[in-house]
Amino acid sequence: MDPPPNPNPNATDAQPQAEAGVRLAALSLRGGRDLPPDFEIHEHHLDDDDDDDDDDEGYLTAASRGGSSTCAWKGLRDDDRDGDGDDVSPPSPSSSGYAGERGSSLDDDPDPEPAQDWPRNKKHLDEDDASSSWRKRKKHFFILSNSGKPIYSRYGDEHKLAGFSATLQAIISFVENSGDHIKFVRSGKHQIVFLVKGPIYLVCISCTEESYEGLRGQLELMYGQLLLILTKSVNRCFEKNPKFDMAPLLGGTDAVFLSLIHAFSWNPAAFLHAYTCLPLAQPTRQAASAVLQDVADSGVLFALLMCEHKVISLVGAQKATLHPDDILLLANFILSSESFRTSESFSPICLPRYNPMAFLYAYVHFFDEHTYVTLLTTRSDAFYDLKDSRSLIQNVLLKSNVLIEVQRSLHESALHVEDLPIDPSSQSASQPPQSSQDMSSQSLSSEMAIGGPAGLWHFIYKSIYLDQYVSSEFPSSISNQKQQKRLYKAYQKLYASMHDKATGPHKTQFKRDDDYVLFCWITQDFELYAAFNPLADKTQAIKMCNRVCQWVRDLENEIFVYGESALSWQYHHCWGGK
Amino acid sequence: MAATAGGNKIRNAKLVLLGDVGAGKSSLVLRFVKGQFVEFQESTIGAAFFSQTLAVNDETVKFEIWDTAGQERYHSLAPMYYRGAAAAIVVYDITNAASFTRAKKWVQELQAQGNPNTIMALAGNKADLLEARQVPAEEAKAYAQENGLFFMETSAKTAINVNDVFYEIAKKLLQGQQVQNPQGGMVLNQRPPERTVSSSSCCA
Ligand SMILES: Nc1nc2c(ncn2[C@@H]2O[C@H](COP(=O)(O)OP(=O)(O)OP(=O)(O)O)[C@@H](O)[C@H]2O)c(=O)[nH]1
Ligand SMILES: [Mg+2]
Repeated sequence: MDPPPNPNPNATDAQPQAEAGVRLAALSLRGGRDLPPDFEIHEHHLDDDDDDDDDDEGYLTAASRGGSSTCAWKGLRDDDRDGDGDDVSPPSPSSSGYAGERGSSLDDDPDPEPAQDWPRNKKHLDEDDASSSWRKRKKHFFILSNSGKPIYSRYGDEHKLAGFSATLQAIISFVENSGDHIKFVRSGKHQIVFLVKGPIYLVCISCTEESYEGLRGQLELMYGQLLLILTKSVNRCFEKNPKFDMAPLLGGTDAVFLSLIHAFSWNPAAFLHAYTCLPLAQPTRQAASAVLQDVADSGVLFALLMCEHKVISLVGAQKATLHPDDILLLANFILSSESFRTSESFSPICLPRYNPMAFLYAYVHFFDEHTYVTLLTTRSDAFYDLKDSRSLIQNVLLKSNVLIEVQRSLHESALHVEDLPIDPSSQSASQPPQSSQDMSSQSLSSEMAIGGPAGLWHFIYKSIYLDQYVSSEFPSSISNQKQQKRLYKAYQKLYASMHDKATGPHKTQFKRDDDYVLFCWITQDFELYAAFNPLADKTQAIKMCNRVCQWVRDLENEIFVYGESALSWQYHHCWGGK
Repeated sequence: MAATAGGNKIRNAKLVLLGDVGAGKSSLVLRFVKGQFVEFQESTIGAAFFSQTLAVNDETVKFEIWDTAGQERYHSLAPMYYRGAAAAIVVYDITNAASFTRAKKWVQELQAQGNPNTIMALAGNKADLLEARQVPAEEAKAYAQENGLFFMETSAKTAINVNDVFYEIAKKLLQGQQVQNPQGGMVLNQRPPERTVSSSSCCA
């Protein structure tokens, strides 16, 4: 293949540069269907509605269905840049031989026919890279193969984006072929971030002012979600056939990716790499943990009881540890697929941080609208055992009123900054551990008008040892979604700058801007992120942060899960096995 | 696997539904088990499990139903669900010719790899959408006869023939006694023996 002109000789670490716009234009290799020429000129959209497009419509209700249509690949013809006609033939999903990690005896499937095309209107299937609406989207996510075949696009129909995909592929491959890696390209307010995972390329194009590290972390999670659905053994399909069309293998999972992308802007777990727990009185949680432990002892690898995205209890078999990212991806997968709520189910699922190569089998059952148990095993024949384990769990949960306490906690037990005790140390000395319903009543409300004391609006506390975080509810001053997302974005930036490897991990940071005063404090044991009103006094703010830490410690038995085998994880920086 | 309880026999029968994405497998099961139909049924992940009992004369069949996912990525797992099944319903969508082709492939696979005693039904679903029909009923019927399946056109939406398919299967199961010959080897049909005992005792 003819390499395209080198878009950026220093692409390994493409710096923001004045001439970046010119460079981006140079990346536009093939006229109209490539990088939209006006990518860099619609910045005026940024100011007013900065945030509302990052994770907009449809992520919850999308009744997405996969399946490729027999004619959808016609669009490829004019982009058959290699001059070899293979691309044009209709997709033959059956030729994949994709068989997850099952034994070879199962490989000989009958050839499936291409499935019927279902309306997936929630992701704006009518759009493609020629539509102005598509180009104005503030944050695009793409997954493509190293031969340039589209695998996933946040907006628009993957098939119609074949030309655009080929362009991205050309950029990445060109740099890869010269033994280098492309990390990002910046142009004005746009940033294009690349992540190469073997034969799979992930790309984010955004003008959301998020940091490179933040966006890259999001691409890592996108890749993790893909592995959760397919395992890394999907790579073998590319070894057999470099032009393998992977998109059909992700049929029906649009809602999963959309909900993950949405999580990037509301769920701190996505950038903190920690999970959060549902506050519960200690005896209640212990009742749940005890029965999960029994179940784990009987041959289940992981047993998780969760309420929405919050952990009620989780237990692993001996030595098995669950990475917080896997919890995030698993919960996202389960909560975004209506299928799991209809009845109990038994499905292959891969935990990418645990073992990216192999499927586990997941038994999932919802006890009520929010609360569900997931039992993971390596045994494909374990369904009835897990079903029995579930009845056992259910009996204990009912007998110990766990489900009722969970419902109560969901509505009442959140941490409110207004409740920050005046003098937590004396209080903790005199008070026994409180039950969950008391937690919100120990308040002082004189400073309600400005949120918590000393102008404290919000905080997130992450316990490094536990890999868990707790965050306060949003106060009235940050009541709408837009403000909340803006705050999370500010936290993400703060997180990235605190963890910047080049400048070394920072211990504290104090930042004042128009919207808030942000304070971050990292020690060996915890990370604290706090937001104050913009007029807050620094000395006071630091005092408040100390009080928050003390408060969290006082409540730790209710807001964190302590396993017998503490499920902390030695941090791995790369996906296992690579 | 049969248990006697006050002269009333209860048979546990594993039943699997196979078919293309969107053919209506989940819709048929939900209609049969819960009497519901939803216009925007979501694509199944892995497989969903249901159970439902059906009385046939003085006998009772307890179906343990596996509603499998039609998505391609799950095809290699299908044997896990159909192995040892007493009955299989292969579903296609009468308005989608490709789904009929896919159904035939499932039949072939079951014939090649499945239990020879498995009772097989072919269900041409979405029979309410006559104006969009792509698969003539006669063609499907002829195919079913050649292959020893019994055939019905169903509609999960209007409920036409849905219970009938399951009832027909139950009748055949009771006539043929296939339930009592579970295949050795695998998995999902193997139950701890106490279970049958408990189900009979609660019906006594
Ligand atoms: N008109 C009509 N629509 C139906 C009927 N049965 C199912 N549908 C619709 O067809 C779509 C697919 O139905 P499902 O039951 O989810 O199909 P499935 O075979 O379970 O699909 P997978 O789980 O993806 O394999 C849904 O939108 C249903 O509402 C029917 O009898 N008539
Ligand atoms: Mg289904």
